[in-house]
Amino acid sequence: MMSIYRIPVGPQHPAIKEGFQWNFKLDGEVIVDVTPRLGFVHRGIEKGMELRSWVQGIYLAERICGICNTPHTTCYCLAVEQLYDVEVPKRAQYLRIIINELNRIHSHLLWIGVLGMEIGFMTYFMYVWRDRERVMDIVELITGNRVTMSMNMIGGVVYDITPPMEGIIRRGLDYLEERTKYYKEVLLNEPTIRARTENVGVLSKSDAIDLCAVGPTLRGSDVKSDARFDEPYSSYDEISFNLVTYPYCDVYARALVRADETLESIKIIRECLDKMPSGPIKVRLKRTPPPGEAVARVEAPRGELLHYVKSDGKEKPYRVKMRTPTLANIPATCEMLKGYYIADIPAIIASIDPCYCCTERMLFIDINSGKSWVWTDSELRRYSLKYYRERRK
Amino acid sequence: MVSIIGWSRIRSPWILYMGTGHCNACDIEVLAVLAPRFDVERFGILLKGSPRHADVLVVTGAVSRQTAPRLKRIYEQMPNPKFVIAVGTCACSGGVYWGCYNVLGGIDKVIPVDVYIPGCPVRPEAVIQGVAKLLAKLQGGGKK
Amino acid sequence: MSKSTSKEEFIAHELKSNFGDVISELKVTGPRRVYVTVPPESLRDILLFLKNMFNARHIVTITGIDMMKSFELIYHIAVPGEHIRSILVNVKTHIPRDNPTMPSVVDILPGATLYEREVHDLLGIVFEGHPNLERLILPDDWPEDEFPLRKDWKPKEV
Repeated sequence: MMSIYRIPVGPQHPAIKEGFQWNFKLDGEVIVDVTPRLGFVHRGIEKGMELRSWVQGIYLAERICGICNTPHTTCYCLAVEQLYDVEVPKRAQYLRIIINELNRIHSHLLWIGVLGMEIGFMTYFMYVWRDRERVMDIVELITGNRVTMSMNMIGGVVYDITPPMEGIIRRGLDYLEERTKYYKEVLLNEPTIRARTENVGVLSKSDAIDLCAVGPTLRGSDVKSDARFDEPYSSYDEISFNLVTYPYCDVYARALVRADETLESIKIIRECLDKMPSGPIKVRLKRTPPPGEAVARVEAPRGELLHYVKSDGKEKPYRVKMRTPTLANIPATCEMLKGYYIADIPAIIASIDPCYCCTERMLFIDINSGKSWVWTDSELRRYSLKYYRERRK
Repeated sequence: MVSIIGWSRIRSPWILYMGTGHCNACDIEVLAVLAPRFDVERFGILLKGSPRHADVLVVTGAVSRQTAPRLKRIYEQMPNPKFVIAVGTCACSGGVYWGCYNVLGGIDKVIPVDVYIPGCPVRPEAVIQGVAKLLAKLQGGGKK
Repeated sequence: MSKSTSKEEFIAHELKSNFGDVISELKVTGPRRVYVTVPPESLRDILLFLKNMFNARHIVTITGIDMMKSFELIYHIAVPGEHIRSILVNVKTHIPRDNPTMPSVVDILPGATLYEREVHDLLGIVFEGHPNLERLILPDDWPEDEFPLRKDWKPKEV
């Protein structure tokens, strides 16, 4: 019979301050089973969309996740534009590619720095985040905002890239490319990073497919799927770039996928600048779309994102459904944690690049003793760093 | 800037950070404030892990049903004198989430706030300015 | 099938051949988009068919909509086309509002586990056979009989 002790611990941490409870069943140090409990940051956004006009909805969709804000608005606008049965002008499509790829670079660099933090490399984190500022400079140049771009409108985009901006953007991309290559080298060669990530959190190819994983989590398990290829939206099929996969199926593979995708994104933006079509950047549309329904998918940095919209011809949507990539990756994450040590948890969970907001708590239950305890993610991180430091002695 | 340096010579404020139901954008900008470009640690501002050691509670995000009791508890665990900074429009007033059923509003629905820093997301410069204003307020007395 | 038939049209054609008597609506609305409406008792068969015939193993999500007279469920299934998740086959079904139950599809598509829980949480639809239909995203203290995505649910003062 199990008696459970709950040790209430406060929830605060500067990074990965995310809202999730993971319940772990343990056999000694080894994880036997994992069940997730979400909801600490459930805000009620889908219902909130029904209270807003179609255009106001863009600004709410943008704030489902501040880091992935651009894919959300792109996906929403693509879905609503299907209701109007309209394709936005070519220039707007290329601009959408550019801002989505800038968002991908920003998000992946953020993640690479955070991976460093999770395994104790504060210096790596500091360097990467310093360089990440360059992406935000480019975004600010185009949109006036550092993070939340607010660039998409139903019918196109609201800001344009002028010739003077182009030179600055290209120089920024050159810098970022050089720095990203360096950070990738560190990932490839630094033995401590490899020790903490290789053969850790393995998700087999068949599990990744059956559990419907998405994004780098899926592609790190050797599955060739990316919404930019599966469903080429916004003229992605006119740009030549690689679908990055790695066969190792572990945390290491997912890190390499993100590093390579960052380099691909830089190439994509350059090609878009080279081939930028002239013309308008938006079409004017009636305020209310005709009745109907539509689905759009985009590849957010974390994976496949879906928006479904239904209109009954009124000013406000009848229904908006948004499925974020992190939700899709949770069943796979539970699977990839099994059989690993408590000390591996921070790196494994970080490897899916979780985007769920608020505060994190973890409940541990030892199946042998029946003891259970709750840790915050910062306590877990401290435990994990200490565990690996001692093992190295 | 001078006032921060002057003040931090007397005492370094220890910051406790908490997010209450939000989209992450303000969090990463708060984190950017700690990173090299903005780097508040040079002013002696340190991020601490426990409410019992903190002087200043920095909160991002609108308060949701689940996080309201937790926020209150954290605030109560902090020793006096204590101060609260609401970072971002959501923490100030609930922001973009009006009408969302799980969101209560700004954090002042639950705890008293000393400094409001609006922005969606907040800009790192604004965070620094907000902290400076708080330090100026501290020099003038502060809450007991 | 002639060379000019797209994969989407082929899928629609095969669905019609095999399930024509239960399908109430079938359309190809554009590239990579198929919509098919079937009664709830045929849903599992359709998903099995898509899986076995077309190797469709990815469920993107399940959308639940309160249509007032009934609940509409849309299973967004990604079927291989040019790439392995290219074509979206949106399988729709309707269940009565006063008895919102549906057989679970978790044994066919394990990825559906959290999507069924989400629809259950927000609309109150019971997926029979689901291994653990617990709360997913609403808070612990949320009342049992309140389903926020229903059209007749209004937010209350907290």
